[in-house]
Amino acid sequence: MSTQLTADQLLHAYRVMRTIRVFEERLHVEFATGEIPGFVHLYAGEEASAAGVMAHLRDDDCIASNHRGHGHCIAKGVDVHGMMAEIYGKKTGVCQGKGGSMHIADFEKGMLGANGIVGAGAPLVVGAALAAKLKGTDGVAVAFFGDGGSNEGAVFEAMNMASVWNLPCLFIAENNGYAEATASNWSVACDHIADRAAGFGMPGVTVDGFDFFAVHEAAGAAVARARAGEGPSLIEVKLTRYYGHFEGDAQTYRAPDEVKYFREHNDCLMQFRERTTRTGLIDASQLDQIDGEVDLLIENAVRKAKSDPKPSAADLLTDVYVSYP
Amino acid sequence: MSRLPLTVGIIANPASGRDVRRLTANAGLFSSTDKVSVIQRLLAAFGATGVERVLMPTDMTGIAAAVKKNSHGRQARDSHWPTLEFLELTLRQSVADTRQAARWMAERGVSLIAVLGGDGTHKAVAAEVGDIPLLTLSTGTNNAFPELREATSAGLAGGLFASGRIPPEIALRRNKRLLVRIPSRDLCEVALVDVAVSPLPFIGARAISRGIDLAEVFVTFAEPQSIGISALCGLWFPVSRQAPNGAWMRLDPQSSEALLVPLAPGLLQGCGVLAAGSLEPGVAHRLCLSSGTLALDGEREIEFNADDLPTVTLDSGGPLSIDVNAALAYAAQERLLAIGREHPQHPLNLAL
Repeated sequence: MSTQLTADQLLHAYRVMRTIRVFEERLHVEFATGEIPGFVHLYAGEEASAAGVMAHLRDDDCIASNHRGHGHCIAKGVDVHGMMAEIYGKKTGVCQGKGGSMHIADFEKGMLGANGIVGAGAPLVVGAALAAKLKGTDGVAVAFFGDGGSNEGAVFEAMNMASVWNLPCLFIAENNGYAEATASNWSVACDHIADRAAGFGMPGVTVDGFDFFAVHEAAGAAVARARAGEGPSLIEVKLTRYYGHFEGDAQTYRAPDEVKYFREHNDCLMQFRERTTRTGLIDASQLDQIDGEVDLLIENAVRKAKSDPKPSAADLLTDVYVSYP
Repeated sequence: MSRLPLTVGIIANPASGRDVRRLTANAGLFSSTDKVSVIQRLLAAFGATGVERVLMPTDMTGIAAAVKKNSHGRQARDSHWPTLEFLELTLRQSVADTRQAARWMAERGVSLIAVLGGDGTHKAVAAEVGDIPLLTLSTGTNNAFPELREATSAGLAGGLFASGRIPPEIALRRNKRLLVRIPSRDLCEVALVDVAVSPLPFIGARAISRGIDLAEVFVTFAEPQSIGISALCGLWFPVSRQAPNGAWMRLDPQSSEALLVPLAPGLLQGCGVLAAGSLEPGVAHRLCLSSGTLALDGEREIEFNADDLPTVTLDSGGPLSIDVNAALAYAAQERLLAIGREHPQHPLNLAL
């Protein structure tokens, strides 16, 4: 797989990553005001992973995300105001304000849902991949989980079944080094999550999650494989999160300068800007323009979400499995 | 003054052997568990040849932890592993960790450093350790610098050299290297086997998996039986490790002459050949492309544009490495592994 992206594709990738970054940085500020219900888990720092994988997907390709799902939603094309309103618990949210941060879903966009249960997205994706295979489409399905999720039995079962049935699946392990406060080098027995693929008879690779192009290239190879009927793959994306496990996490388990180091040396957005402008494929002014547009988009999303109505009491009995009189 | 214990270092790249070539080719996996067993084979061989202490860096993937745990086991005791000492690094999970470990070992005056990794890992260690000899072991995807070799016999060769029983003129060989310079960026990087010029604009997933992504190749040596970028020259214009010169090739998909090359395990690619020739030491070569990427020892590392004007120069200032075949041939000739009646492993001393 080569990395011959067009200028439009490069600009789109930058817009996706920038939107995720500004969305998350803004939530970090807004959450501290106490106005947002529930928990939020921020994806800032990990943008290249969502953007690099999703660049290869169509609306009819399904993904399942985890608790840290905002980046996956944005990259999959879920409406930014609809997401913000959902996080604020408003009726205009993509799930009418009844799901919140950890349950954002949008089937029109192939987003099967963020998920509060660690590792629970993987079996859902196997179902979606089976559906694509039985229907004879060349659709693929992608599960995102973390280093903590990689230790879950449900993920192992999903990988096994995907391999046994040769399903068009990608398992993306976003290894940010910590499952909540537990270091992955302590809790993941084989240490390299990619190594586990061998046990399920599929290829496994590790890529630099700070480098959009590295993720894009590996995901491109895995998606092409899946679409051609060659079965599932596991990609371990090594990256870091800029914030705590959840907002409010004091992060006493991290070295004091750890995040600072990564922000200075391994910022996927900074790298992307430097490298694309140096090649001459993109002009810095084009990226600056996107920065301005994204700032406005997020500002409007927050302002509107704050003033949007909450769901009514009657809404409690809609969108549930059982019908009430 | 008391004698310093005979000390060697072991550096294993925890990241080698799991890049994108598992998806684009049929490359195998070199798991952390496999690397632990390679290190333990080395420790057994070092223990048997008189090495007293081994230095190792810590890592994020449990390699050092597993070796430490196993050092309390029966195998370690029965095969007289050397004492282990670990360097506590602030891990960056990049090549910086390898370089830091290599510097620490050089400062501690090790007699030898065993390196487990690919061409890139060996290059990183070589850059830091001057003339400390390397015992090279391949745990990468497709390597030319470290040969594929059983660690036990390599360890015996290394241990016998480190303990002074094989003279350097027999055991050591001096390697060539390629220097990549971009003066305007104050950049000087080293490659031990090959430098490939690619029109691909970005480093991406690093490996080069298509023949059409190669425009020019420079090699220090090229063996016909190798795999990877140097195989291109190996199958068209081979040059031995010992020859003073290297080789270059210029490629173009439009060329009428073409060559089938194993660029990665199971991956044969047709490459259009424009020209090839001998690369003389000390001559700085300009590249045939004005922009693109440079792959050093098989991995894209440097993105360059028209302002950069990189050059590639061959010289003989590469690292010293153990010539395992020559060392073990000498060991056989001199019966260096013969043991006396007093040795605990002499069959007459075994309680059957």
